Amino acid sequence: MTSVLLIDDDSELTKLLEEYLEEEQFQLDAVHDGVSGLEKALNNQYAVVVLDVMLPGMSGLDVLKQLRQKSSVPVLMLTARGSELDRILGLELGADDYLAKPFNPRELLARLRAILRRTATSNTPSSAAGQPVHLADVELHPESRSVTAGGKPVTLTGAEFDLLHTFLRNPGKIISREDLTQAALGRPMSPMDRSIDVHVSNLRRKLGTYDGNHERIKAIRGSGYVYLLPGEQS
Amino acid sequence: MTIRTLFLKIFIWFWMAAAGIIGVLVLMVWISDAQTLPERVSRGPLSEVLNIFAESTAHTYEQEGIQGLDQYIRKSTKDTGTEVYVYDAEGKPITAPGPDNVPEVVKEVETQQQPQQRISRMFMGRTTWGKLVTGPSGNRYIVAVRFHAPGMRPSFFTTSRIIAMILTAGLVCYLLALYLTSPLKKLKSAVQSLAQGNMDARVSPQLGNRKDELGDLGREFDQMAERISMLITSQKRLLADISHELRSPLARLSVALELARKNSPPPATPALNRIEQEAERLNELVGQLLALTRLESGAERVPAETVVLEELLQQVVDDANFEAKPLHKEVKVGELEKCRVTGSPELLRSAIENVIRNAVRYTAPGTSVEIALQWKLDTAELTVRDHGPGVPESELAHIFEPFYRVSESRDRASGGAGLGLSIAERTVKLHGGCINARNVEGGLLVTTRIPLAPNSNGDQPQATFSPASLASG
Repeated sequence: MTSVLLIDDDSELTKLLEEYLEEEQFQLDAVHDGVSGLEKALNNQYAVVVLDVMLPGMSGLDVLKQLRQKSSVPVLMLTARGSELDRILGLELGADDYLAKPFNPRELLARLRAILRRTATSNTPSSAAGQPVHLADVELHPESRSVTAGGKPVTLTGAEFDLLHTFLRNPGKIISREDLTQAALGRPMSPMDRSIDVHVSNLRRKLGTYDGNHERIKAIRGSGYVYLLPGEQS
Repeated sequence: MTIRTLFLKIFIWFWMAAAGIIGVLVLMVWISDAQTLPERVSRGPLSEVLNIFAESTAHTYEQEGIQGLDQYIRKSTKDTGTEVYVYDAEGKPITAPGPDNVPEVVKEVETQQQPQQRISRMFMGRTTWGKLVTGPSGNRYIVAVRFHAPGMRPSFFTTSRIIAMILTAGLVCYLLALYLTSPLKKLKSAVQSLAQGNMDARVSPQLGNRKDELGDLGREFDQMAERISMLITSQKRLLADISHELRSPLARLSVALELARKNSPPPATPALNRIEQEAERLNELVGQLLALTRLESGAERVPAETVVLEELLQQVVDDANFEAKPLHKEVKVGELEKCRVTGSPELLRSAIENVIRNAVRYTAPGTSVEIALQWKLDTAELTVRDHGPGVPESELAHIFEPFYRVSESRDRASGGAGLGLSIAERTVKLHGGCINARNVEGGLLVTTRIPLAPNSNGDQPQATFSPASLASG
């Protein structure tokens, strides 16, 4: 049984989800407000935290902000559909993925499994994945899941870390958004899905630019993204 | 601008009215003086003096002859501009004959019924006074005295005084116009500020304690603004409530549905699928409705981010193609020029997405939707052309209205709630652009124009990156 923390104020929904997910081998722990949710997430070991943005009292985004200061537990955000801003903000604050609410529970299951699959692979380092990667001024250590850029440590979320890892293993190559989604989020890309773009732009922002004005990651129209080597800047 | 002209209108009309009144007053005084002056002269104390003078003139003539008379007249009228003419009883001049209306006055005196009566007549600003007098010898003479119109009144309205009065009236009218229009100006700026979404715009503090109708108007405006801001606040709360309250049951419904699916026999599957489909449709509708209301209420603030339109468009097209392929449709991109606009990438994406999805929905299977993005002066012009049935000309203007459907035949089957284009239109408007649709041969052409970002020159930061290294990569 995988333990999942669900922070959602709709107790009827959490009850239904408990029942549904139990059959899928998930142990669901439900909390109905932000403050106790944050407390529980910090004090217990959960494989995934599912966090609703709209919470009474402390908002989901605030919970996420505070959670991220101390923990890198994977977070799946539940956002109101049509509220693009919450989604972007959530991903920027370090959520690993989002799901528009109301959602299809099958989709929730798929996202949860994707996150778990990703964390599972990165937690059991294979010989290739476990090697530290060093490219120009960026160093990435898969074992400690730490990154430094220009000698300074950079704090990345799980998704951003996996994204950077993928980029660093293929510098100068165009990687499609589909492949990046698969690598960073552990699931296939769905149409109208912008998560990967937000993750890329977060990564860009956190790493900064080469020499202050050259972008590290370039978007290639219609294809995907490419991680540039310093020499490729002209 | 209207205030300005209203100010000018009040100022000019009031001033003209004041000047007109002054003119009429001057004219009336002048006319009444002209009418009453001879009367006053022939009756008043001046007439008594003239009477004595006329008799002494006749006396002098009889005593000292024509030369003595001349001397007497010259002496007594020295430098006063007054002229004296003496006639005999038959109206024959003894001195030099008088000019202008003097002969007429003499004639009148000569032929009058009651002798000894004084006659005075105005002529060209001068008064001619005449009377029949009897000399010591018993001979009768007619003495006519012509002098400048006496009395102070006409000289009161001198030209300089009239000008001063009109200028004073002008100053008063200017102040009046200012007094009347300045609160309107303040009201106007408050209304504009409110219209631009500043819910705290109030006019009372600026108007002070004005007790008149304009003060009332200001207070009424403030009450109205208060009400509107309350309504908008409650509408926003209502939106949040709807999104929460409608969605919670929908969320539970879909989980319950999945639970039901697991525990029900296969024959129930089609019905369950249908329930799922309808729940999804309801969900979509609520989402779109919320997006639309949010756009319309002005609650959505457009961030001033730079949006790389061609990149955004390409992503939308990729997604649309993904959806179009199974339907044997295609989205083709023609010209794609670099366009930077300012606004929210998310809102613009959903606007463009709605337009393109709409085109994909209506284009016939086996055909393609053609898209182009071009620079047009200071706007980015996005054209989306489908090969579908088009829209009847009379209904073209309505397709951006919420829930508008061109015909029943192309509704449910084609999906969507008829809100996509409305959302697109509101979003584009919010970004200072416009959107319109027209029929072209065998299809519909939707043109979206969005103003380019002010410093947009088509360059992008990564433009220095050489395409050659890309090809090798």
